[in-house]
Amino acid sequence: MIDLIKEYMAPMMFAGLVVFMVIGYPAAFSLAAVGLFFGLVAIELGVIAPDFLGNLTFQLFSVLSNDLLLAIPFFTLMGVILERCGLAEDLLEGFGQLFGGLRGGLSYAVILVGAILGAITGTVAASVIAMGLIALPVMLKYGYNIRHATGVIAASGTITQLIPPSLVLVVLADQLQRPVGDMYRGAFGASFVQVLLFSLWVLLLSVLRPRDVPPLPPEARRLRGLALAWRCIRGMVPSILLIFVVLGTIFLGLATPTEAGAMGVVGAFLLAASYGRLKWSMTYQGMQTTMRITSMVVFILLGARTFSLVFQGIGGKEWIEGLLTTLPGGAIGFLVFVNVFIFIIAFFLDFFEIAFIIIPLLAPAATALGIDLVWFGVLLGANMQTSFMHPPFGFALFYLRGISPPSVRSSDIYWGALPWVALQLMLVALLIAFPSIVTFFIDAPSTLNLDTIEVEIPSTDSGSDLNSPPAIDLSEPPKFDEQP
Amino acid sequence: MRFLLVITQAIDAFSRLIGVFATYLVLLAALVSAFNAFARYSIASIVGLERKLSFGGGGLAWLLDLYRQNSNTLGEAQWYMFAGMVMFGAAHTLRMNEHVRVDVLYGAASERTRLWIDLLGGIFFLLPMCLLMIAFTWPWFLESYYGGEMSANAGGLLRWPVKLALPLGFALVALQGLSEILKCFLALAGHGRTRSYERPVQ
Repeated sequence: MIDLIKEYMAPMMFAGLVVFMVIGYPAAFSLAAVGLFFGLVAIELGVIAPDFLGNLTFQLFSVLSNDLLLAIPFFTLMGVILERCGLAEDLLEGFGQLFGGLRGGLSYAVILVGAILGAITGTVAASVIAMGLIALPVMLKYGYNIRHATGVIAASGTITQLIPPSLVLVVLADQLQRPVGDMYRGAFGASFVQVLLFSLWVLLLSVLRPRDVPPLPPEARRLRGLALAWRCIRGMVPSILLIFVVLGTIFLGLATPTEAGAMGVVGAFLLAASYGRLKWSMTYQGMQTTMRITSMVVFILLGARTFSLVFQGIGGKEWIEGLLTTLPGGAIGFLVFVNVFIFIIAFFLDFFEIAFIIIPLLAPAATALGIDLVWFGVLLGANMQTSFMHPPFGFALFYLRGISPPSVRSSDIYWGALPWVALQLMLVALLIAFPSIVTFFIDAPSTLNLDTIEVEIPSTDSGSDLNSPPAIDLSEPPKFDEQP
Repeated sequence: MRFLLVITQAIDAFSRLIGVFATYLVLLAALVSAFNAFARYSIASIVGLERKLSFGGGGLAWLLDLYRQNSNTLGEAQWYMFAGMVMFGAAHTLRMNEHVRVDVLYGAASERTRLWIDLLGGIFFLLPMCLLMIAFTWPWFLESYYGGEMSANAGGLLRWPVKLALPLGFALVALQGLSEILKCFLALAGHGRTRSYERPVQ
């Protein structure tokens, strides 16, 4: 009996985690408690050395002394300030008027502004709330289909997740042990394709169901000529400045992502001040929200570290790796399985739980299969966008529910999200099919990858020759973003 | 019962007070980090410019030295503050019920079931976990404190304050956990308000 427990300790621990998480007690505490409990049992059974848990303190300390994770409060605070500073109003007003005459013009404006806000800040909440407050009433007033309007706003808000400087990419970079800069570069192509996909969908709608996306009547387009140009400039100039402060300094190597986030906070303060909206009450509220989110997220990470320390100690890593590397179909089989798995698990876990619990289990298997981890990270980031778009953790939908008028029913918001989730999954499929969308923008040539495969092939018995994303694929010409 | 209620109120107020401290650390950390990055490049370029144009006769190099001597202090202060906002904010976050849950079942459960989950979870998960964590991290802090451990970096800070943050933070969470347990108990016994559960923001 004891031997049986010893042998199947890792699966048991994993099952225990699932059971205790599903009960609904806060994940951070359940993780740590399950980890410590199994740690003590394992010591009792002699599976791990008695002093094994001594490593725990160092694990916890390494979370707190991690410079990169500091980006979490900075980007969050920046997002909270930007949400209320009036920048989104200017952008939406300008682009709405600019594209308003077109069928689906307001939708294009929302997608574009979503991308711009995404390139400035790193949190979904900021984009969705700001755009929902401003664009939704206008879209409803001029006869846009409710489901389409809520869908496009929620989806455009989640672009933030993929466009640098996204918080999601920072966390994934930390978990996959890859430079954030590489992740950011890799995500550029992906987010551009996403904006393109979204716009194509609107175009398709305006042909198939023109009544869902009517053009603005002439009397609603009161800004013309210089006034319109001025309005667009007033939105774009501070945006471009902020994008430079945050993204530019990272890419030029002037600042670490953490410092860029901190400078972004200062930039957001200055911007809010220039709009005359910088008030202490707003600032303090923002700080408080930021503190609570940071503490919540990092506590999950502390719990997850406790769990994975013990899990690895009792051989869980080998167990998971064995399971994943023997999947049929080699690398492609693994990728398909992982993406389906993440898509499904995102119904139950929120992003940070997935990143802290699931990703560390997947990364070694991905490395063993010769998969480029930066590409893998961007892929997972794209996949996890969907978790913002469906219940029960569809944060984008919650935010939208919180700010939309009562005439919009919750079921409208949920159904409206559906086509956009499909578009996001299409992006995931495209990224798997054409890895060059990601790898093209990364400096290091992906031939490096081929080297690792040659080493790896003898050790894998799946015998597949598809163990890695192909090297730079030139079947599709590189696209250059019109600089947002 | 009244006595228990007073205890929970006192603990809640205490956690909120500590939470205010953690809240200010957010702003302070952002400002220090921004200053650090800004100073590094502006001072380096001023001194570089001075060398090229030789307008100050090399007299501005002290600026660079000043920065170099203190940059590690600033850099380490950043993550000390990060540790502070996480560990000192956690109790307040618990009070606000904002630690994220898997709410497939919890969200659908009745108010009474939720109270039971929180009560038992607090007793069997939260409290033992916190006590074990304190048991692991406290000796580690003492060692650092009595050893007078310093950062290995030049201009680095004393290590024990940040090491103290771990056991202290878990103790605060345990204390707040006690208050939550009492609140669940009181509510189940028919005293005190029912708590509202909202999904945490992100």
